This record gives sequence, C-alpha cells and structure tokens, in this order.
Amino acid sequence: MQWIAIHLPQLPLEIFGLPTPEPCAIAHGGCVLACDARATARGVRPGLAVPAACALVPSLAVRERDPAGETEALIGLAGWAMQFTPSVALEFPAALVLEVEGSLALFGGIEPILVALRKGLVDMGFSASVAGGPTAKSAVWLARAGRETLLVPDMLRATVAELPVQMATDEIETLEALAAIGVTTIGDVLRLPREGVARRFDRRLLGEIDRALGRLPDPHTFFTPPPRFHARLELPAEVTQADMLLFAARRLLVQLAGFLAARASGVQRFVLRLFHRERRTTEIAISLVAASRDAEHFIRLLRERLGATTLSEPVRSIALAAEAIVPLAGEPLPLFDDPARGHGDWARLVERLRARLGTAAVHGMTISAEHRPERASRPLDPVLGKRRRSSAPSVAPAGSDGGAGPRPFWLLPNPQPLAERGAVPYHGGPLMLLAGPERIESGWWDGSEIARDYFIARTADQALVWVFRERPTPGPSAGGGWYLHGLFA
Amino acid sequence: MLPAYAELHCLSNFTFLRGASHPEELVARADALGYSALAITDECSLAGVVRAHLAAKDVGLRLLIGTEITLSDAAGTGPKLVLLAQDRAGYGNLSELITRGRRNARKGAYRLTCADLDTGLPGCLALLVPGNDSAGVSDLAHARWLDERFPGRAWVAAELLCGPDDRASLEQLHALAQAANLPLVAAGDVHMHVRSRRRLQDTLTAIRLGRPVHACGKALHPNAERHLRLRVRLAQRYPAALLAETLRIAERCAFSLDELRYEYPEELVPAGETPASHLRKLAETGLTWRFPHGAPAHVRTQVEHELALVADLGYEPYFLTVHDIVSFARARGILCQGRGSAANSAVCYALGITEVDPARMSMLFERFVSRERNEPPDIDVDFEHQRREEVIQYIYAKYGRHRAALTATVITYRTKSAVRDVGKALGLDLHQIDRLTSSLAWWDGQRALPGRLREAGFDPASAVIERLVELVATLTGFPRHLSQHTGGFVIARDRLSRLVPIENAAMPERSVIEWDKDDLDALGLLKVDVLALGMLSAIRRALDLAGRRRGVRLTVADVPAEDPGVYEMIQHADTIGVFQIESRAQMSMLPRLRPACFFDLVIEVAIVRPGPIQGGMVHPYLRRRAGLEPVSYPSEAVRAVLERTLGVPIFQEQVMSLAVVAAGFTPGEADRLRRAMAAWRRKGGLEPFERRLKDGMRAQGYTEGFADQIYRQILGFGEYGFPESHSASFALLVYVSAWLKRYEPAAFCAALLNSQPMGFYAPAQLVQDARRHGVAVRPVDVTASDWECTLESPGSRESPAVRLGLLMVKGLPQASAERIVRARAERAFDSVADLARRAGLDRRDLRGLAAADALAALSGHRRTAHWQIAGFETAPVLLRDAPIHETDPALPAPTEGESLVADYASLGLTLGRHPLALLRDRLRRKRLATAAEIRAMPHGRFARAAGIVTGRQRPDTASGVVFVTLEDETGHVNVVVWRSLGERQRRELLGSRLMAVHGVVEREGEVVHLVARQLVDESALLGRLLTRSRDFH
Repeated sequence: MQWIAIHLPQLPLEIFGLPTPEPCAIAHGGCVLACDARATARGVRPGLAVPAACALVPSLAVRERDPAGETEALIGLAGWAMQFTPSVALEFPAALVLEVEGSLALFGGIEPILVALRKGLVDMGFSASVAGGPTAKSAVWLARAGRETLLVPDMLRATVAELPVQMATDEIETLEALAAIGVTTIGDVLRLPREGVARRFDRRLLGEIDRALGRLPDPHTFFTPPPRFHARLELPAEVTQADMLLFAARRLLVQLAGFLAARASGVQRFVLRLFHRERRTTEIAISLVAASRDAEHFIRLLRERLGATTLSEPVRSIALAAEAIVPLAGEPLPLFDDPARGHGDWARLVERLRARLGTAAVHGMTISAEHRPERASRPLDPVLGKRRRSSAPSVAPAGSDGGAGPRPFWLLPNPQPLAERGAVPYHGGPLMLLAGPERIESGWWDGSEIARDYFIARTADQALVWVFRERPTPGPSAGGGWYLHGLFA
Repeated sequence: MLPAYAELHCLSNFTFLRGASHPEELVARADALGYSALAITDECSLAGVVRAHLAAKDVGLRLLIGTEITLSDAAGTGPKLVLLAQDRAGYGNLSELITRGRRNARKGAYRLTCADLDTGLPGCLALLVPGNDSAGVSDLAHARWLDERFPGRAWVAAELLCGPDDRASLEQLHALAQAANLPLVAAGDVHMHVRSRRRLQDTLTAIRLGRPVHACGKALHPNAERHLRLRVRLAQRYPAALLAETLRIAERCAFSLDELRYEYPEELVPAGETPASHLRKLAETGLTWRFPHGAPAHVRTQVEHELALVADLGYEPYFLTVHDIVSFARARGILCQGRGSAANSAVCYALGITEVDPARMSMLFERFVSRERNEPPDIDVDFEHQRREEVIQYIYAKYGRHRAALTATVITYRTKSAVRDVGKALGLDLHQIDRLTSSLAWWDGQRALPGRLREAGFDPASAVIERLVELVATLTGFPRHLSQHTGGFVIARDRLSRLVPIENAAMPERSVIEWDKDDLDALGLLKVDVLALGMLSAIRRALDLAGRRRGVRLTVADVPAEDPGVYEMIQHADTIGVFQIESRAQMSMLPRLRPACFFDLVIEVAIVRPGPIQGGMVHPYLRRRAGLEPVSYPSEAVRAVLERTLGVPIFQEQVMSLAVVAAGFTPGEADRLRRAMAAWRRKGGLEPFERRLKDGMRAQGYTEGFADQIYRQILGFGEYGFPESHSASFALLVYVSAWLKRYEPAAFCAALLNSQPMGFYAPAQLVQDARRHGVAVRPVDVTASDWECTLESPGSRESPAVRLGLLMVKGLPQASAERIVRARAERAFDSVADLARRAGLDRRDLRGLAAADALAALSGHRRTAHWQIAGFETAPVLLRDAPIHETDPALPAPTEGESLVADYASLGLTLGRHPLALLRDRLRRKRLATAAEIRAMPHGRFARAAGIVTGRQRPDTASGVVFVTLEDETGHVNVVVWRSLGERQRRELLGSRLMAVHGVVEREGEVVHLVARQLVDESALLGRLLTRSRDFH
C-alpha cells in the first residue's frame, strides 16, 4: 500500500485566510501555539508564554486558538484531497493521510500526485509537509517530523527508528519516563528489551510503533464528504478592500474545485457570504452559464463581481456555499428545516409584511438592561429572535434600581428639540411638567453618554409626552435644551 | 437660608468596589459643604473609620460611626439598615455585630439575619432603607419589626435620588412611616464625594460583578446623585422637616473614636504586685543576668530614667507582654531578637527583648517612648522564620482567640492591578490586558503609562485608552481588600471584638482585625510585631551543627567579639550568605568602608540604604574616613551628635538630635519631624519643618549653607533611613553570621541550605561559594542523607564535609524522607526494591529520588535507576514478594551535560562542573572572558564576559540603572546597565538566562564592574538547563 501524509504545522494560524498587518501569534492555554514568520524573526517561538511573546513583540496580534475552525479547515482540505483518491482520513489535530495505491495508475505514479498536492496546498495558502510511506503511520510521522521524503519499504525500519519518540505517544508521563532513561528516538525504544518496555510503559507505545512498522494492521475510517459544499473562513482582521477578500476567497474556491473534482461534478451557482458585525451579512451569488469546476474560472468571475461591489462595512469572515451541484440538478436542499414551520400564521404574517414593506421595516422588539432609553429596547428578528431569547445576558438589578420608571409606548428614534419660553418647554403650546425629574446619566463607556432630566408632561391638548432637558456635561455639548423623546398612549 | 444637614448614610471606598471616594475626601467635602455631621457607614465594616476620624478631627467636623447592613433571611434578602453608634457601649455592640457577620461568612463577605438583632443593639440608632418593592408589603413588615427591636431608636430613611418619580416615592415613604409609626428622615445613600466619580463608581460595579461595564445594565446606578449634594439642592428635594430630622439623629450620637482606650492584658502581673513593681523586679533580675559583674552606672541611670517614664505613661503591661512572649521563645530554644527602636531601651535589653548592649551604644530612649508623643511604643521582635508559628500559637493559646488577632494590611490598587481590573471593566480582551500589565510589570509609575501604552501597541489618544488612563489614575491607591499583617498582634484585656471588628483571614485559624498599623497608631492602641527572620533560623542551626561537632553547646553569646579574622573576610567582600551585607550594593561598599570593628558594621548596615545614598552622605563619609577630607564641625553641640560618624549624619537619631541641638526642636517635635520624613515622599508636608529648622539654625548662629545641607540630608533620608538602634540589632546578626562563615563554613552552608528560602542567593550559589572555600559538599544519597543537610567528618583534621539532605530533592515529602532515615537506621538498604519496600515509598517519591541521582549507590546511574523504578510501578504487588528477575539493559550513561540539566531540574544545583565550564570552549571562540579574568583587568579595558544571570536589580536611587549579576565557573561579574542601553535592549536585559556583555571594566580598588555597551542573549547555549534569577527585589 502506498500512503501519503500531509501535515499542516501552521494550521492554527493559517485557518485565518489573510495575513494580519502586525506579526501574529495563536495562543492556547496562555502559551504561543503557532506564530508567523515575522514573529519568529523577532524571537517568538511556540511554547513561549503569551506575555513573554508580547514583551518581545509589543505589536504582536494574539488570537486565541480556534479548534473548531481547525477541524473545519481540515475537513475542507479532506474534501479537496478526495480528487486524488477516495481514501482520505483525518489525522487530528493537523494532518491528513491518503491511501493512493489505486490512484497511481490514473495519475501516472506517485510523483505527479505529490506535485499536485503541494501546488494545491500552496494555492490555498497552507504551509504543509508532505511525505509518503508504506504504512499510514510512517507517512504521518515523517510528515510531522518535517521529513518530506518518499519512504520505500526497505528503509521503513531504519527511517522510523530515527524519528523522535514523541511521534509514538503524546502522553506526558510516558515521555518523561522515557526521557529519564535516556530514550529520545523510536530506535532507542526498539533497542530496549521488548517485555521490559511493555511492562513499564503505556502499552499503546509499542502498538503505535508496530503499526508504523507494518507489524500490526492499522485500519482507517475514511472521510465521507458532506453532500454539499460549505466552507467558512475567519479573517484575522476586519477587511474593507475587495481585493483582499478575493485573496481570502481563493482558498475556498480551490477547495470547492477539489471537492467537485472528487465527485466528478460541477457547479452552476455558488454563494459567497460576507459576515459583518452584529450578524449582518452580505451575499454575493455567482451563477455560471454552464457547470464548471475550474477554480481559476471561479476566481475570475468573483473578481468581476467584487470589482463592481462596494463594501458597505468591514468584513469579519467569509463563507462559500455551493448547493447546485450538477449531477444532482433539481431542487436545492433547504438550508435549514423550514423556519416558519411551527410558527403558524405569525411567521407568515411577518413574511408577507416584509415582502410588502421591505425586510428592514419589520422587526420585533426586546428589552435590554440599560439605563439609556434609546438602548433599553432593541430590534430583533421576529422569527430568529424567538429562538435566541435565552441567550440574552441576564443581569441582576442593582438593589433598589431594578424598577424602571414609566416609559412611553412610542419612543422617537431621535429626540426632537423643543422650543423654550420663560424656562417652559413648548410643544404646540406650553408643556405642564407632571412628574420628574428622573435623572439619567449613563453610557460614558461607548461614547454615547447621556445626561438628562426626564419629565412626564401634559400638552395643551391633554396628551402625555415624555420630555427631557439636557444636563450640562463636561463634554463639548453645552446642554440645557429641551427635547421631546416619547409619547404615552 | 440653607438648611442644616447631617448625612447619615455614606459609604467610603472601604466598602470595597462600591464606594468611590476615600474617607478623607468624603470628610473634606462634607465639611466644605457645611454639613453639620457626616456618618461613615461602610457595609458591615469599620475599616475606614479611623481615617475618616483623623480627617474629621483636623477640620472639626462631627463624625458619626455606623454601618450599612443588608440582613439575609431564609427567603433571601432581608431589610437593609443603617446602624449608628450613640455611645461607647453602642459602638462595642456594633463592632461585635460586624464581627459576628464577618465570621459567619467566607473572607470578604458577611452574613447576618434578623435574629442577630434580637437584642436590639442597645446604644445604636437604626434607619430602615426601604427596598424598591412597589407594594410596600415587606417594607412595612420590616419597619414594624425594626420599631420593635429599636423602640424610639428607629427611622425610615427617605433617599430621593432623582428616580422615576420622586414625588410619588416620597408619598409612599410617608405612608410607610405613618403606617409603622416611625419618623421619616432624609439620607443620601452616598457612594462618592463628588458627582464626577460616577464613571469610577460604574467601573467599580463592573469589577465587582466581574463583567464589562457595558454588560452591567441596570446594576449600574442610573445617575450620579449618590454624592454629597449641595445643601441648596437638598432643600429643593426634601421637605425641611426631613432635613431637620437628620440633626436630631446626629445629636443623639455622641460617640467619638477618641473614647476608645486600650486595655492591657492583666494576667501577667502576679498577685500582690503592681505592673510597675513587677516590671522593676524583672528589669533588676535582667540586669544581673546581663551584667554579672554589675551594670555600669550610666546603664543603671538609663534604666531608672526609662522605668520612671514608663510608669508615668502606664506602659508597663506592654513591656510585660513582650517579655512574656520572648521568654516563651527562649524556653523553647527559638532564637529571637528585637529590632527597630526598642533597641534604644536599656529595659528591653535587660528583659532579653533586644540584644544590643546599652553599655556600647548611645541610646535615645525618646525615640522609643516619648511623653510628648503619648503613643504606645512599638516593639518588633524577629523570630526564626520556620518556628514563628509556634510563637503565634502560644499567643492564641495564652490569650484566646477572642482577645488576640492580627492587624490588617490594607491592600491597595497599584497601577498594574488597576490596569487589569479597569481594562476588564472596559471590555478589553484578556490578551490586550496581559500585554498592558506585563509591559507595566516593573519599574514604572503612573507617569510612564502613556509611553508604555504606545510601546505595547495601544494609542494613548484613543477614547477607550483615555478612559482607561483616567480611571486607573483615580483607582490607584484605592483599598482593594484587607489582608493580614505578617505578624502584628493586638491583644486585649477582654473581648477584642468590642474594640474593633474581627474578620476571618485567608489562612484558616487566623483572624484579622479591620484596622491596620497606622489606624492603631492613630488611636493609641498597641500591637506586638511577631516577625519572621530567616537568618535567625540559619544562625540557630549553624550554632547547633557546629556545637555538635565541637561537642559543646554553642549560643550567640559564645561567639567571640571583635575577631580580626571576621573583619578581614568582610573587608574583602567575601560575604555570600552573611546577613545583610551579602547584597550586591553592600558587597561593593565593603572594600571601600573596610569595617574593622562592630560600630563600623553598624555604619555599614545603615549607610548602604537609599536614604543616606540620596542624601549624599556616603561619599563624604568615605572620604573623611580615608583621611581625604578634613572632619569639621560648626559647633561643639553638633560635634557631640556627629562625632562618631565623622561629622556626617548617617542614622535617623542623628538627624533628630541635630534638630534638637542645632535648631532648638523639642524631642517631641523632632519625632514629628521623623514621621514627616517617613511620609513626605508619599504625602509631602515637610515644608513647615523646613522653615522651622532653618529659622532655628539661623537663630543659633549656623550658616545658611549648613542649614541647607542638613535639610537636604533630611529629605534624602525620607522613609529609608535606619535608626542606629535598628542598625545595631542587625549588625549583631551580621557579625554572628560572618563569624560562622569564617570559622564554621561547613555548618554555615548546611544551615543556610536547611533554612531556605531566605537571603539573597540560591542554593546553587551557596554551595559554589562553600566549595570555593574548601568545603567538601557530598551529593544527596539515600544511603547517607538525612532530611536536612548534615555535617560528615572527612576522616582527617580538615573541616567537615556537608552532606546534602533529602530536603533538596524536588517533590520529596518530608514524611517519606523520614521513613527512609528510620528504615536505614534498622539496616542498610541492599537494593532500590528493598528501599521502596521498607521505607514505604510510592512512585512519586522514587521518581524524585532517581531524578536527584540519590539512588546511585543502589542502582548505578540515573537512567538505570529510572528503568528499575519504572519496572516496579506497574507491578506493585510483586514488590512485596520477590521481584521479577530480569537483567537491566545496558543503558548508556548520561553525558555530563545531561546530568547537569537533571541536577538543576531536581536539586537546583550541581556538584559537577559549573554549566559554563562545559560551554567554556564555545565561549572562548566568542572571545568571552571568565569572571576571574575580568577581575584581573585594569580600569578602562574593553572586555567581554558571559555568565548565567543570577540577579537583576534596579535600585530606587540609581535613576534607571539596572545591576545584573552574572555567574560562571570562576565567580561573579557585576554588570552595570545604564538606562538608555536597558531601554534599547529590554529584551536581552529581561529575557536572557545566559547573557554575554560587551563593555568596559571599571575598577575602584577591589571593586570591579563591567559597564555594558551591548548585551547579547546567549540563552540558547543553555538548552534545557533551568536557572534561577533573583530579580528586582
């Protein structure tokens, strides 16, 4: 059997599709897990404590490790690699192993496969170490050890023996015990009496070595790709330029092409979603005249579209989805279960209203714990909002301040200035202040600080309104004016 | 006409993370606003009242003492009350209530229920702070309950804070008060002295809740009304009757903290004696013990003088208390010695509290006890650090936990902790905060903040950072929590909790009062400091070891005085391990000062201090001593004060005496000057003394120049000057430890190792030093080592060898080591298996021993040992029977480098070659010289050296200079890194474990420094070797 292993030493870093402006490091458990070349050049190394790394490179951008993102990337790569063989297995945390015996004839030997693999990985922006061997384990170990060789069966034992013993186990206690007796390579283990080793150390150690050497079978569960293509890419920093996005999307498009190649199919339409702050998204749908799986073609089309698109706001992550995969032409699979189901007429009403008035004109409301009236309620999606209610932060009220005062039914989106005559506010006539002042001074932390005295007032025509007088703040706005902020029903 | 008002509900920042103003700020503001009185009512705490009391006394404001308490009920929260003390008895009840609440809960919290007030807290008034329950049901129930418990002493508080509808609230409150038949009174729920503290108050809330301020929602106060409001505003908000009611309450609270009087324990005086007669008797006995041939006349006079003053002030019980504690320690063989100004007392010497012979020192008893100061003396006693706990337990046992407790230390926000907490509150992510705090890790104050921010990649002009900087500036200095003082005990005659509330401490079985040392000082309460000193442990151990070897019992008294060999060693700065004079700064002073008698040591201890250094005393003294500069005095009176130190003031007492003889200060004034000296750097306030001093000196005919010089020296002293008495106490320990090092180097080394952690040097350096002095040091060995390091005779007449003890083995518990020693006493071990079985060792013990190479005698080298013990681990059953017979594989022996790494990892030192000896060829190729070569180089020579970094120091006096100590196989290189280089090469300076330095040799006599021009981090050469540096102590 012929195996090829791909190890991605920088995966935690490279799942973020773009380089950051500053040197970058990925942190895990307070230590650096991976870092880019610029950080390395200035002395940052994996294993270094994060504060120490920041002391070396004060501008270092540190991101917390994203294991889910790594898995997602690995799965994406597995889908892509299936263009070379149907037998692709994930080797967590950062490797793939391919059984290519059956593909050799098709591709004209192993070298062309290696070349194509390396080129594709570079295209997608991954640093990878690729190695081949007669057993899956030997190939993976070589790749992990950074020895990009193609191992022939005759050399198996001698080469594996040279590898560090850390390949065979990652159990700290075993490694420490081995280090204590001076064992550093797999060869050192093989030189010890076998029964003695079996008695002293974790049994899995010898088992792993035996599998690497082909002395024990090493069955693999191969990867089954999902029926549709969906891949997401977190950007390391907010992106505002379209060409940067294209650069990042390239990886996803190459993956899509590999995914399609593996299933001998093409796609007629794909959608790139751009995610902004606060769950807002922009969708860019690309339709092809004829089905294709040519990555370069995809990239050309996307470049044109992006060229014509103005980004309304910065993008934090992107996702690529392809649903109309050609041999399966016909109805696209629904993205989720029908969200309207179970919501009855309410959801349909919202749909209908939105169809008439536009999506933005119809929204639900939720209260949030805030002193500032503008922020004490916020819009939410009437359909999704229902499901998300439980995730809203709940904050215990401060002792006596839990009860909010009376709040008007209708709050004006923007307070409306009122005329003032003889210290009395006017709104179609002098207002009579009934209750107040309720003083609200809050919000200094986000730059929208308010300092107001609210009153409930009666207008000349007996309507109740909510007005406030601005209090002088240390800031530039002098304050003192009267405003109408709400109407009581 | 503004209405009169007394604020009855006010939290200071001693209600941690709620109050946003210091007690002093609140008092000053209340006074400025013309309030008639102010109550400090911190939540279940009296921690801030002493500060408020002092501030109020200064401005003449009536201060009420009280507390805010929210009672917990089975159902959850009960009523919230403000309780105010009317008189001493009421204060005692309040203090006991707080104590009960605090001791019912974990540290930092409290728990009190309605049942705790069943007795109605006589002598206290109570205000109910109604909750926000709109139905008013529970408020009414609470009000009726309160009326029952506090008949005629209960009110409903009306706190109108610009809420949704204050008018309606007031009507409800009236209704509530009427229904319960209680009077209504105005109050402010004050959290800050001025409204501009609102941001900080919001931030404190966020820190308290552990979430960012934007996620705090309604937990924040809606506005800034909880401040000390203008009376004109109060008049607008409240009916006049409610404001007038505050005064009626204030009038009923007549209690002042000045009424607290310390009541000494009584049991130390035997029946039929008075405290005075008993103290005199003990002093007489002590004099006979100290001076078997009769005390010199001036000592007698001194004792009489002291006894008279002590009797006058009634301080006898205090001397008796300390005497009792010290006698206990003596009886147990625990070495102890008084430090600080107590060494100015001949009575303390006679009682065995201090060790400095009054016949040899000039004593300034007024520094210790002064009639004018009317403040109890402060006796600090050091005990062996590993046995201090016995002394503490003795105190608890003798006086009971209800009468003895530790004093508090108020932990305040420093820049670093403030940045951390404010950063979190502002929603910065953890990495950003870590980066901020680590870039502030050392040597920076508030001023450096913007620069550090920029360096860490933050824009100081951004809004978030601006807010952060502003909040950090205000928060810095805020109290954060109470911690226990290291050893300050307060002992009361009856229940201590009636004097001050007692809380639980972080350590179980400890309790802490809510006041710190300054609070106690201010109220004239007294405490005994039971301190720990590592050197006392080391000296006692060294004397024991040396005595056992010599077959006699050695005590400090047996150490011969003024031995020339000891001084010769000290003059060569051969002082690693010696008390005090082992630091880098001390060692570079020794060859210049060349101490030749005990008094020189006293000077040495006092002079290498930031005070004398900044005051510019060091160089004049050295020049005069070397005869390079004439010694002159402006008057005979000054000569009398300064003659012993060649006209240069070196001790704190001299500065005080100068103020007396040259500027006409009274001793009491001089003492106030001393206090001001100690505080001016933090608080300022020396200016009045400056005028008084200079005028006084001019009046007595001294020149302006002399007056200026003295004043500058006083400033320099600041808080860092040592009193002579203290220097003398320390100098005694210097001499004794130096004598041990000189004549019993093996015992001294073993004793230091057994007393770790202590001192300036790690075990590796202590062992290196001992071996350089010809002491044989033998490895840890299960067939020979005890738990502690021991002495073994070499079999010839040379000095004994040190056998490293099992305590050096990382991770080996003492109990396991003791089982090894016991099993070995029965019969020698014949194999590792035999050892494991008979000493009952588990796998961790065995692995620790193997890692330390302590099994070598039984198993051969480390690797074989590890192979063998790995074999037992998975077959524990077989251990008890015959082990499996297998032959050990021929494991290759570890290389010298590998052994070295393993030695350091387990023992922290190696008996093999120094790590740099192994690297020497590579260092030679880099043209790096050894420490020995550097020492031999002439002044001004360009040189390169490298060594393991064993210490980094940045003295406060040296404006940014960092001193780095490098160690190699031949000794130490002292590197000076100037500020500019340090900033340029921060990474190399802070990050190197093995550092190479290119620089210029600077030599002054025996003192050699290498002044760095460039630093190179060579740590990679060390590989996995663990080294330890002592940084910035």
